[in-house]
Amino acid sequence: MALPNQQTVDYPSFKLVIVGDGGTGKTTFVKRHLTGEFEKKYEPTIGVEVHPLDFFTNCGKIRFYCWDTAGQEKFGGLRDGYYIHGQCAIIMFDVTARLTYKNVPTWHRDLCRVCENIPIVLCGNKVDVKNRQVKAKQVTFHRKKNLQYYEISAKSNYNFEKPFLYLARKLAGDANLHFVESPALAPPEVHIDLAAQQQHEAELAAAASQPLPDDDDDAFE
Amino acid sequence: MDDVEKAILISFDESGTLDSGLKSQAVNFCQRIKETPSICTLCIEKLCFCKLVQVQFWCLQTLHEVIRVKYGSMSLEEKNFIRKSVFSMACLERIDDKLCAVLESPTFIKNKLTQVLVTLVYFEYPLIWSSVFVDFLPHLSKGAVVIDMFSRLLNALDDELISLDYPRTSEEVAVAGRVKDAMRQQCVAQIVRAWYDIVSMYRNSDPEICTTVLDCMRRYISWIDIGLIVNDAFIPLLFELILLDGLSEQLRGAAAGCVLAVVSKRMDAQSKLTLLKSLQISRVFGLISDDNDSDLVLRVAALITGYAVEVLESSKRLNSEDAKVVSMELLDEVLPTVFYVMQNCEMDATFSIVQFLSGYVATMKTLSPLQEKQMLHISHILEVIRTQIRYDPMYRNNLDVLDKIGMEEEDRMVEFRKDLFVLLRNVGRVAPEVTQIFIRNSFASAIASSSDRNVEEVEAALSLLYALGESVTDEAMRAGTGLLSELVTNLLSTRFPCHSNRVVALVYLETITRYMKFVQENAQYIPLVLAAFLDERGIHHPNINVSRRASYLFMRVVKLLKSKLLLFIETILQSLQDVVARFTSMNFACKEPSGSEDGAHIFEAIGLLIGMEDVPLEKQSDYLSSLLTPLCQQVEAMLMNAKILTPEEYPLKIANIQQIIVAINALSKGFSERLATASRPAIGHMFKQTLDVLLQILVVFPRVEPLRTKVLSFIHRMVDTLGASVFPYLPKALEQLLAESEPKEMVGFLLLLNQLICKFSTLVHDILEEVFPAIAGRIFSAIRRIADSSGPEANTEEIRELLELQKTLYTFLHVITTHNLSSVFLSPKSRGYLTSIMQLLLHTSCHHKDINTRKACVQIFIRLIKDWCARPYGEEKVPGFQSFMIETFATNCCLYSVLDKSFEFGDANTLILFGEIVLAQKVMYEKFGDDFLVHFVSKGFPSAHCPQNLVEQYCQKLKGSDIKALRSFYQSLIENLRLQQNGSLVFR
Repeated sequence: MALPNQQTVDYPSFKLVIVGDGGTGKTTFVKRHLTGEFEKKYEPTIGVEVHPLDFFTNCGKIRFYCWDTAGQEKFGGLRDGYYIHGQCAIIMFDVTARLTYKNVPTWHRDLCRVCENIPIVLCGNKVDVKNRQVKAKQVTFHRKKNLQYYEISAKSNYNFEKPFLYLARKLAGDANLHFVESPALAPPEVHIDLAAQQQHEAELAAAASQPLPDDDDDAFE
Repeated sequence: MDDVEKAILISFDESGTLDSGLKSQAVNFCQRIKETPSICTLCIEKLCFCKLVQVQFWCLQTLHEVIRVKYGSMSLEEKNFIRKSVFSMACLERIDDKLCAVLESPTFIKNKLTQVLVTLVYFEYPLIWSSVFVDFLPHLSKGAVVIDMFSRLLNALDDELISLDYPRTSEEVAVAGRVKDAMRQQCVAQIVRAWYDIVSMYRNSDPEICTTVLDCMRRYISWIDIGLIVNDAFIPLLFELILLDGLSEQLRGAAAGCVLAVVSKRMDAQSKLTLLKSLQISRVFGLISDDNDSDLVLRVAALITGYAVEVLESSKRLNSEDAKVVSMELLDEVLPTVFYVMQNCEMDATFSIVQFLSGYVATMKTLSPLQEKQMLHISHILEVIRTQIRYDPMYRNNLDVLDKIGMEEEDRMVEFRKDLFVLLRNVGRVAPEVTQIFIRNSFASAIASSSDRNVEEVEAALSLLYALGESVTDEAMRAGTGLLSELVTNLLSTRFPCHSNRVVALVYLETITRYMKFVQENAQYIPLVLAAFLDERGIHHPNINVSRRASYLFMRVVKLLKSKLLLFIETILQSLQDVVARFTSMNFACKEPSGSEDGAHIFEAIGLLIGMEDVPLEKQSDYLSSLLTPLCQQVEAMLMNAKILTPEEYPLKIANIQQIIVAINALSKGFSERLATASRPAIGHMFKQTLDVLLQILVVFPRVEPLRTKVLSFIHRMVDTLGASVFPYLPKALEQLLAESEPKEMVGFLLLLNQLICKFSTLVHDILEEVFPAIAGRIFSAIRRIADSSGPEANTEEIRELLELQKTLYTFLHVITTHNLSSVFLSPKSRGYLTSIMQLLLHTSCHHKDINTRKACVQIFIRLIKDWCARPYGEEKVPGFQSFMIETFATNCCLYSVLDKSFEFGDANTLILFGEIVLAQKVMYEKFGDDFLVHFVSKGFPSAHCPQNLVEQYCQKLKGSDIKALRSFYQSLIENLRLQQNGSLVFR
């Protein structure tokens, strides 16, 4: 599962696939984890960067091999071939670019075609940016498909651990699993406006009690 | 293994043991192979003979890519070959007498194969390959493997082409429509028949494949003929599956999913209602049981709630009596189970309890009186609300100490409750009695509940009562209509064992305050209210957050009940002695200060009480001096020791003084100007002495910004309480406040002057004249920095503060002129600033981005014309002013600035500004006569190419007496001129 010269480890490790439109911040996100950034291996020929991200849980250490497929469009690459043997995934979109959210279902479909029934987290990135286009309450896709949704800000480290914790719990089948120590993260480049963010989270909570928009336009035949 | 297979294996390697040069070589090799003309044949060959999944995957991926990109240029023969081969693979047919093993591969290979098939369907169905679905059907008899593949194909068709969950191009939408139409005509009936047969045949032997088939069918129900499912065969089969104990739960759940799809199908309301009635949904109610959160229960719960939503929706859309009766019957039947589900099951994510219940309650508004059955539903709804708003006991400690988790939970709950409380109020309107009885009972049962959940029960019951109070009318509140009186007296006289908990204590106090109008009318309860606020449930609560909030709420209660509290003043002061002593005792300074506003509300409440005129003078003096004297003494002591403060003591002392000023400030709010100056000057005298002491702070700590701000606001207060008798203090105070003030403080300083001018008008003339030159000098040198900075670096805190100062300056100048004080600008010492003021006002009136600021500037000019240019012309009061107005202001502001396209007549504020600009012309004509008019029409209009006839009309309108007519004419004139120039002329 590792790439050349990467140590294989004697504790549980999982292949994590990160997908989403270009520019949504997938690479920035995985690079926040400093140990992973230090040990990453890049394969320009197939356009993939694999970051081994270690986390310390109450049940011991675990490792996510994060397959960051950045730039694969340019290199041709293996496309959905990267997803083979993926054990969990993160679908990333950018809350400041509406199109990146519109494309989430397509990423989800392409992922599930290759990896049936794996735990998936949907991440709305860049919530530190003031002018967001996708409001928390407009994010409903995860409810249709039973995914977990988190608002994150890779640049400010906001909620960095949340997606990993969710996936770790799902993979371990232990809802009470928790991280016992924080991984070393790069210092935040921006500071998130917590008040504004709380507002969004509140919106999200409120949105959870709203019905899903009905997309079915077919009338009765 | 041949080279291609090797290369594929290497490029897909995940082990990390391969050399990256080799990998690079392999990837390039595969890429080259893809470009060869025979690539499709190669892929199909490999798919038939090679069992390596990586190779199979690569071949299918490549096929998909080639078909998608090169379909148009492929030969017929090649297409035929691909079509025949992949179809054979999918339905286990032999290719050249060989059985291809793709269907034995992992699911992702099968999924890739369906992707290729769907791509062919995209290009070829129904015109070229019309038989794809029909041809598949006979192979289903081969068993589960082919049935599974067929289901995958249909699922993929839905995902890749039909489902509206994905963004599609218009071309894709058109193709989807074509495919659906053809399938409906050609094969949907046969496919449904096949589904039916498979489920009937395999339900016992292979429930898994039946589940797959039904899950697939569910996707198609929304667009196929519903009659194929809703008939005497399929519906009974589906219900039989749902109800059959012992059958696989997945299969039963899948059947429930299909029924839900049937129920949710779009159709006209009458047919929908008939369909819903025919289903006899009550058959499945029995499956819902409390101790079971299984997948089946959840899916049946989703079916029942989905059913209820549809019934409600139909009843809203149908108007006939019959339909109303039917839908109400169906609702009555399903609602008890829905309520049960809401309280006991995990809800389906797509269902919104609040929205459904609100919809139901809305239908009740038209039904009056409510039947017994509906009353019962109402109490269930209330029960649901109560369950939903109740905190989970697991957060009890977090919420009590308000840590991070507690804060998150509280924020979430506040937001979550909003809609539920709207619902509660709607219910309260439809059925007030039931609602009040429910709250009373909740209250009683909460008090009786065991300690492991009493906090949450009590908090929920109190919150319900509070939310109800928000919708009760003033009259009802005062009268205690219905059970309100009983509820409030209960509230006031109850002590909860869990009162030490923060959330309980807070909502208790909030609720009491909410119902204060009732107490206002029923004064016998005042002692109970006071006790609640003054003992350990309120201000003396051990939790600082509670006691702070209690202080604030107490102040509001005192404001409302003031006149009824005269007899209680002594008691209240005694109860508050310890709180007050924290500020008045001499060792106060040793304690850690918690915040400069702490105590403000308590002192404000005390001030409101002891400041009443009904308090005898002697008592009043005693009360007041017992507070002011020790507070002032402390300030004096600190001022005396200021020089010997150590750096460690310094911040603490400063904070202490701040707190004391804030306390005195709050206290003084209760004393009116009438009392302090006219009826009881002795009281006024005490405040003057206090002012004397506090002004010393400016002398001793001239550069401590927080102290200056606090003293400044105290002066504001004293202006209100002491009225004109504050004048003697002003010159010195103003001088000290002005000295070395930063732009931010300058803003505060101008606000004080604005207050003085607005309150005393010309009475402050001398004071204003004295300070104006210094102010003007200071401000003009400061705001020059705004002009010096531009570009992105201008967005600094410093520039923002300067802009704020400039804005306040406009208000200041506006206030001066509108209060008959424009002569201040003309005093010998101020005169030097006149040109700067005029230039600033002119520029602002033409260009400022804030329209209201521009308006203020134009108004200032209008006022100055009136003040300075009295007719008949004598000697000019302000030499040069008239010509400035005629030559510069008139053309620049009255003409050019409005000609600019950015001046939007569609904006309401801009229209008001325009009105002022027209008025300015009118006033100039009145005061300057033809001097103005001649210049305006001979210099101004020609530069805007104004036609002569319009110029003449303008003169006429200006001379006339109808200002409205002038205004609308001038607007059309400007719009006319804009059109003519078409933006080609640059004026400035």
